[in-house]
Amino acid sequence: MSRFVRKFRKWTVDALDLPGDLVFNLPRLTLIGGKQLYIENHRGVVFFSPEQLQLELSQGSLEVEGSGLVIKEILPQEIVIEGKIEGIKYRGTEE
Amino acid sequence: MKSPVFAQLRGAVTIVVRGKSIELLVNELTQQGMQVWDVKPLPNGTVEMNIQLADFFKLRPLLKRTGCRLSVKRRSGLPFMLARLWKRKWFALGFALFFAAVIALSSLVWDIEVEGNVKIPKEDVLIAARSEGLFPFQWIHRLPKQDELSKDLARKLPGISWVGVSRTGTKITIQIVEATKPKEQELMNPRHFISTSDAVVTRIYAERGQPQVKKNDRVRRGQILISGEQGGQRIVAKGEVRGIVWHEYNIEAPLLRKQKVYTGDKKERGYLYFGKTAIQITGYGKVPFEKSHTMTTLDPLTWRSFKLPIGWMSEKILETTYIEMTISEEKAKNEGIEAAKRDIMNKYGTNSTILSQKILHEKSENGKVYMKVHFEVDQDIVKELPIVQ
Repeated sequence: MSRFVRKFRKWTVDALDLPGDLVFNLPRLTLIGGKQLYIENHRGVVFFSPEQLQLELSQGSLEVEGSGLVIKEILPQEIVIEGKIEGIKYRGTEE
Repeated sequence: MKSPVFAQLRGAVTIVVRGKSIELLVNELTQQGMQVWDVKPLPNGTVEMNIQLADFFKLRPLLKRTGCRLSVKRRSGLPFMLARLWKRKWFALGFALFFAAVIALSSLVWDIEVEGNVKIPKEDVLIAARSEGLFPFQWIHRLPKQDELSKDLARKLPGISWVGVSRTGTKITIQIVEATKPKEQELMNPRHFISTSDAVVTRIYAERGQPQVKKNDRVRRGQILISGEQGGQRIVAKGEVRGIVWHEYNIEAPLLRKQKVYTGDKKERGYLYFGKTAIQITGYGKVPFEKSHTMTTLDPLTWRSFKLPIGWMSEKILETTYIEMTISEEKAKNEGIEAAKRDIMNKYGTNSTILSQKILHEKSENGKVYMKVHFEVDQDIVKELPIVQ
């Protein structure tokens, strides 16, 4: 993505008040209690164990900690994680 | 996208994957658009996941690339169920046949009942029903509609005012209300009533016709009692005329009487019979009696109320002899008179009454009592005589 396009997009987002996940493909996390985590715009699984799950994002990565984690469903863009979720670490690489 | 209904319909496989780069495999799977669900890491480093049956066969190259191995843990869904069923196809066929038979047999008419018929025989109703397509072992769905059926039946059966057809299960009930018909009048020719014998009239009642005699009149045999000619018209005489008639009887009563009695000696024979054939089992040997009477009793095998054509037949041969009895003259006379009275009742009707009896003459000869008895009987003396033009 060229620098100009990125800047233009950022400007549109700010000017038109659009949600970032639609335009920038930013991840969107929906956490339901401590039981279900719904992540959109992920880029694949990096590591997976009952206690930890690492996901690649378009920029950076996401770490989910807990116990008895299960990938309920996985699609190219979306993932649903179930289990006892105790922590979510977001490691973004901002510009 | 994970729809358990469709997954079950298309078949799903639960696999356990072991290897180093399981995450890579999962990513690859999703990239290729295969559905993966319930991915569950197991403590020993393997991962359990569910994939669709169709995707299972595309898994091999991916496994090779990622260096994973898999084992199938569980198969579920329709295709596997069908495969299991195919192994027991004969059982399944029997199962299906059983249900087919039950459905087929319960969609037949098994029994037809006719209710409410008094004068019309059941067979006539059944024949009419058969011509309308209602008979045992007919398909229920082939039957005409019930209202049409009852209408047609009512049209076919004369003397019926209403027919109702109802079905409960495999039983059809035809309910009939018979029409009440007026009594048919007998067709009669114009007639007179004439006397059967010489008599003295004791009662005359003419319902129709002109009475020609009065009470206490003496009438001759063949005399007109009630005339069928009234006012120049010929009509059917109707009514009742009674009179006193004299009857003379010559009675012969024997004093010596022969009677058949059993001596008490008997012989028994046993047979086993099948239909009309009987085989003797017991009681062989000649019958030592001069005169005998045979009594046969059948004892068929029965099942519920059905008599089977097989059973035991026993024959009792009873020795008989005749003894002679002499009865008193008085008794012989009484019996003779009683016999004569019975004869009167028989000949002239049971409503006849014997007013008096008189023994005119009696003698005892050759072991018999001969007598002449005179009876005075009050009886019906009417006989019809058609009026010929």
